Amino acid sequence: MSPEKTAAPVVRVNFFDLAQCFWRTFFLQVLWNFERYLSYGVTFVLMPVLKKIYTTPEERAQAMTRHLEYFNSHPYMTSFILGAVIRMEEEKQQQPKAKQKQKEEEISALKVGMMGPVAAMGDSLFWATIRPYCGLIAVTLVLSHAFQIKGEYWVIPLFFLVIYNTAHVGIRFLGFLQGYRQSDQVVLALRKYGFQQAIRGLRLASILLLGVLIVFVNLSVLEKEVGLFLLKLTFFTAIVGLFTFALHRKISPSQMFYAVLLFALMLAFWPTLSAPPVLSLGGQ
Amino acid sequence: MLMPHWFPVALLLAFLSLDETAFGQFMVSRPIVVGPLVGWLIGRTDIGLEMGALIELIWIGDVPVGAHLPLDLAMLSGTAVALACELVSNSNPQAAMTYALGVSIPLAALSTEGEVVLRKFHIRWLHFAQRMAFNGHIKTFEWLNALVLAEQWVKGFLVAAISLTLAHLSSGLFYLLGGVLGGKVIEGFYYAHWLLLALGCSAVIDLLVEKKTAIYLGLTIVAMMTLAVFSPLQGVHLVAIALIGGFVLALFFVGKKEAVG
Repeated sequence: MSPEKTAAPVVRVNFFDLAQCFWRTFFLQVLWNFERYLSYGVTFVLMPVLKKIYTTPEERAQAMTRHLEYFNSHPYMTSFILGAVIRMEEEKQQQPKAKQKQKEEEISALKVGMMGPVAAMGDSLFWATIRPYCGLIAVTLVLSHAFQIKGEYWVIPLFFLVIYNTAHVGIRFLGFLQGYRQSDQVVLALRKYGFQQAIRGLRLASILLLGVLIVFVNLSVLEKEVGLFLLKLTFFTAIVGLFTFALHRKISPSQMFYAVLLFALMLAFWPTLSAPPVLSLGGQ
Repeated sequence: MLMPHWFPVALLLAFLSLDETAFGQFMVSRPIVVGPLVGWLIGRTDIGLEMGALIELIWIGDVPVGAHLPLDLAMLSGTAVALACELVSNSNPQAAMTYALGVSIPLAALSTEGEVVLRKFHIRWLHFAQRMAFNGHIKTFEWLNALVLAEQWVKGFLVAAISLTLAHLSSGLFYLLGGVLGGKVIEGFYYAHWLLLALGCSAVIDLLVEKKTAIYLGLTIVAMMTLAVFSPLQGVHLVAIALIGGFVLALFFVGKKEAVG
């Protein structure tokens, strides 16, 4: 498209602008509110580009107001949308005035159309899979006392943070870059990464870890007697089943905590149980 | 009457709680990180790590989906670890941890309610931001980001300071229960600690295991049990096996192309 037909001189978004916007994505949820959720965050992220593209105060004000509309999605996966929006804003500015209104509607439609599916994917991938998987690794390592023996307590939290944030920052960056490259075709890019397959794989890996954890919790009795270990493990598994049923009935973990406490106190006051259980879980 | 180390712990919690929503979400506000950090500040990293792991496990499925606001786990773990470290010198560690957790849950719930109020208040900031955008006051619009961050930090500090003080005031009750009822209550807290691990495992099952995949969990338990009983492989070796197995599984699935259509 020749510059003569555009509304304003062609302005290109450079690497520095994109880097600034990417850094700002970490502040996306700063003004999280019950009216328009992440709308301020989205506008704040886009500001370096909006300031560059729109040279007059009126245009800037109009663009900022446009982006302050309702927006709610997953904080990490939103980078796919933000990258695409930056590219589309850049494309819009290069188009003739007559077509700019249509582009504005396309930008708005992209945001509205993608925020739901992207949020569902992000919730499923990060909150319900990657974070529990990383947490489970850390918890299993804590209970194995592998690093506590040497007093290297910092290793486990650090390990948790490194593996989680490799996935987190990696996908954030990838999303932002792919969004910018693919523009309104970003939805196709999302499909090719096979996030659903990753979710399945990581969930199975988490189940493997959970199996280890359940055996671990009862492992210290094994040194005393194999029969007692098997009995304890069976009892533990039965309790886990019972608690799972309760959690499945939408009883919150906090409510369950107090129910467990009450049950344990009843056990303590039961006349036939006078000694504490053989297991010590804290390694003390 | 303030808890020893309350000031550095409250400062730390105020910074870490920013990670929950306002900045980054790098998960430094998760119990597995907050617990050992607070424990390290007080001088009992071991207690912090163990409590952090327990809290991480029990609330693993409490996720911020849509407008749902999960329990403030940074405040929960910070307060619980600080109180447990205070009680642990004179009592059974497991019992102290259970009691500290029991006291800290309502305080964390209050913190969550505080966050709801703040988010409602943020609507005013949003309208202010909109006016600034409309009138072209870009600098003010951008500075609002820093202002809200500072507001969140102050809120975090105040909530942490109040929670730590209330938790400290409740420590007398723990000794009272231990003394008056002849240690039976402490014994109950001790039992509860083991049961809480079962609750944590249930939370993971509730979140991750479906009917189709439940068989894998059963098979894993049987395999690990057999390994533990009949093989010299113990402790950390089992974790290593699970980690490598999980890594291979994840790679296998990630490598597979998603079925199109």
